Amino acid sequence: MNEDIKKIAQATNEWKDKVVKPKLKKYKLEESPTRFYTPEDIEEFDFLEKVGYPGQYPFTAGNDPAPRWQVFAAAEAKESTRFEWGAATSSGAGKYAGFGTPEDFRDYLVRMHEMGRNAGPNFAFDLPTQCGYDSDDPRSEGEVGRVGVAVDSLRDFEIVYEAYTGDLDIDKVSSNFTANAQAIVIIALYAALAEKRGIPLEKLRGTPQNDILKEYVARGTYIYPPGPALRLFRDTLVFCTEHMPNFNITSIGGYHMREAGATREQDLAYSMAIGATYLQTGIDAGVDIDSYAPHFTVNAFGGSMEFYKEIAFQRAARRMWATMLKERFGAKNPRSMMLRQMGGAHMGYINATLQRPLNNLTRAVIGGMADGMSGGIPFGAMPPWDEPLGLGHSLEAQQLGHDATRIMIYEAKLGEVLDPWAGSYFMESLTNEIENAAKEEFDRIEEMGGFVAAIENGYVRQAIARSAYERQKRIENLEEFIVGVNCFAGPHELNVMTERSVDDVYSAELLATAGQRKCESLALLKKERNDKDVARTLKDLKSAAGNEEENLMPYIIECVKVYATLQEICDVMRDVFGEYKTGNI
Amino acid sequence: MTKELEDLINEMEEGSVRALARLITMIENREKGWLEVMKAIFPNTGRAHVIGITGPPGAGKSTLTDTLTCELIARDLSVGVIAVDPSSPFSGGALLGDRVRMKEISTMKGVFVRSMATRGAMGGLSLAVRDVIKVLDAFGKDIILIETVGVGQDEVDVVKTADAVMVVCVPGMGDNIQAIKAGIMEIADIFVVNKADREGSERAVLDIRLMLNMSTEKGSLNIPILKTVATKGEGIAELVTNLFEVLESQERETSWREERIREELMSLLDKAIAHHVHVKLGRNSKLDTAVKQVLARERDPYSIVQEMVASFVH
Amino acid sequence: MEQDRNIRVLMAKPGLDGHERGARVLAYGLRDEGFEVIYTGLRQTPDQIAAAVIQEDVDVVGLSILSGAHLAMAGKVIEKLKGQRVKDVLVLVGGVIPEEDIPKLKEMGVAGVFTSGASIKEIAEFIRSHVS
Repeated sequence: MNEDIKKIAQATNEWKDKVVKPKLKKYKLEESPTRFYTPEDIEEFDFLEKVGYPGQYPFTAGNDPAPRWQVFAAAEAKESTRFEWGAATSSGAGKYAGFGTPEDFRDYLVRMHEMGRNAGPNFAFDLPTQCGYDSDDPRSEGEVGRVGVAVDSLRDFEIVYEAYTGDLDIDKVSSNFTANAQAIVIIALYAALAEKRGIPLEKLRGTPQNDILKEYVARGTYIYPPGPALRLFRDTLVFCTEHMPNFNITSIGGYHMREAGATREQDLAYSMAIGATYLQTGIDAGVDIDSYAPHFTVNAFGGSMEFYKEIAFQRAARRMWATMLKERFGAKNPRSMMLRQMGGAHMGYINATLQRPLNNLTRAVIGGMADGMSGGIPFGAMPPWDEPLGLGHSLEAQQLGHDATRIMIYEAKLGEVLDPWAGSYFMESLTNEIENAAKEEFDRIEEMGGFVAAIENGYVRQAIARSAYERQKRIENLEEFIVGVNCFAGPHELNVMTERSVDDVYSAELLATAGQRKCESLALLKKERNDKDVARTLKDLKSAAGNEEENLMPYIIECVKVYATLQEICDVMRDVFGEYKTGNI
Repeated sequence: MTKELEDLINEMEEGSVRALARLITMIENREKGWLEVMKAIFPNTGRAHVIGITGPPGAGKSTLTDTLTCELIARDLSVGVIAVDPSSPFSGGALLGDRVRMKEISTMKGVFVRSMATRGAMGGLSLAVRDVIKVLDAFGKDIILIETVGVGQDEVDVVKTADAVMVVCVPGMGDNIQAIKAGIMEIADIFVVNKADREGSERAVLDIRLMLNMSTEKGSLNIPILKTVATKGEGIAELVTNLFEVLESQERETSWREERIREELMSLLDKAIAHHVHVKLGRNSKLDTAVKQVLARERDPYSIVQEMVASFVH
Repeated sequence: MEQDRNIRVLMAKPGLDGHERGARVLAYGLRDEGFEVIYTGLRQTPDQIAAAVIQEDVDVVGLSILSGAHLAMAGKVIEKLKGQRVKDVLVLVGGVIPEEDIPKLKEMGVAGVFTSGASIKEIAEFIRSHVS
């Protein structure tokens, strides 16, 4: 212990004795409900090693010394044309959306363009599409077009992208695809669309979620067992690195695990373990780490109202990723070490309450503040306050969310300082704490043989479910409070609502008939296409699937170009790879 | 017997799954009339073959049960599955998750799956399971599979009642073999190394062989050790062949069957007597008096019990 | 040999929705409230759920749906149960259910609807008071 710290330790003890203790005695407390941090908490803290500078390894202080949103803030405000601050993602695609048939979604996108929201599409697919079933499969009944748009074939992509031509053509806008088990097919659809439009693949920009491993432990839209699923991941990685250099490879969904109940530290540990597994597939395929690691992104590290901890979480996540890339994978390019997120810190969609829902706006602002103080902001105050009221955010709620984000930027001026918490005894200590806890869990997964082993033995699923249950018990036992839910919920409280024009976003009428209309258009497609071509390309795909060395991407592109359907393609692979059966409770 | 109960039994015998399930609940809960049910169905029992499946957690027992059932159905046999999971000793509740891995068979024609909690009563579980087996037998099931983690004595007792017992383990878990050694090795008719596509499956087979070689149990050298990959259906046909061989050889052994009936009668008797005693003691204040006497050290507990037993027997 | 009756609950995830937190937390919670809970896992068809209800002879079936397909899914499960003459099972629905759909679900025969913020204890009490 150095001399300074010794002095401080002495002073701390005196303070505890003379100031804190009498106060606690007065309230008959053994332990203080508050904490105060001093240099003792970060003894031997090395600023350059642990924090460094924004835009430099280990990126604790942020990725960007001059974020675009801050640089152009004043200019944007003067023009006041751009509608969505809050929805713009790091890759430039628009708000996550999708419903009904491709025609319905196309019309929706055109309407959004007319309202000034002309970013690229950020596809929400319906569950059959996510699980590799066509709209006419019996398992799809009641689900077609429900949580996203139904996509069965290239025809459907052609229809949706009718909203993107000319100045908005696909070499100019960026697309996001929440696709995992069937991500390889969705990427193939996009590539085939580009080919039909005569656009070179290297001009395509966008991000597929393409994070299958978290689906086995949260979210649940898997198809094949983890082994073959990882092979498909490898195929997308190798193909995109070679042919689509401006297209991201994955958006790792740590937040999905958080939403399923994982703690902050579990989320961090599992996301890193998943990332390591994906990165390794590239190494194993003989690709240079620096050629693909910069195209790895993460969905978002966030998910609670614990303001300080969410900030520390961001800092720890950036440092952990950077360290792993540099030390374990030997990356040389700083861009490979940079943790790029679609979103940033946020309150957690699961924490939006149905009770007095307008309070969710306050919650979102707090989450947005954490974002703004930890290297984020464009994600800002998310989600819109009406998140728990059912699928589809109203335009009014979106407006308030965007405005809240703007207020944080322009009026609160959150973006003027980078990593404002750097060097805080408290924040540095908390960042270390979260990183260390995550590392410990990460090592446990490694000892089991990696994330795939930890899926197969049921460990991660169970760990997440236990955490979810523990939290629920804390809420029910009033060890954790949620305003309006388990406290301050008496009859004397008032419910406050605003108008919502949610119908304008997703028409109930269209939703109700989407299944039938989609089945009709699919039947027509199957009549019109050349079945011989379909059979031939599927046969080629099948034999390639049987050979582990083959990259399936070109084969799948051939299939989709002749309008083989998503399910036809997935069924071929189901035959070869088998289907995943869920693990445990 | 009430008319209602009689109808229920008739419905079950005519093939109503709902009636079968209801009767199982009745028997499991020891609801009023359960003994009548057992007596009524007994003449129709004795045809089904019972296979016990046990092994440590994570060995893939449920998935193996699922795949095995598919294979048996493909051979035109009807199958009943009893999946046993432990009750919580604190709440008495239970989380029964075996159906998660039995999706293939949950709606298959000819298959009936029932989850049972151990419910904590010592010795009660194996009796209840035996009775449930009889109902499934009377319903006409050809094969009944009982799947349980062979941890507690109660669960080992359950598996013991089967005609053939298979012990499932997986490669790469050294403790696994140790766990088997501790309790259930003696009752195994077949060993299965599941997930055999994983590294270390040969090693696991060798470990089991070594353990059997050291055993003093009669016939342990002839116990088959099979490899399966339940998720892919590999090795299942061979497993069925081996199971049938075990079942056939046991069929011939009358002494073995006699022994099992003797055991069952003794267990039923134990339970009935214990029940009788509980009911009697519940009604009089003798026990309270005895407790006070022992507490005051006026009398010793041994003489008291001797006296009580004498009075019950008369 | 009478013993206390154990209430049996089937927790099911109908359709393709993979959001399992609520269903699993409730399964754990109801176990600790003393119920015997049978969990089906994901992607259950109405036929599979009906078969499980019958084979397991449960008192309660809980359907957890967050995909917006609750009206279609609950309707189909109830129809299948009615088709097999199962009338005495308590059907509960949980998940993201817009308020205006609650009366529609009740009309179909759903006994209770539990949405965001419902507690395990509240659901356990509901079951105890509705299962004789």
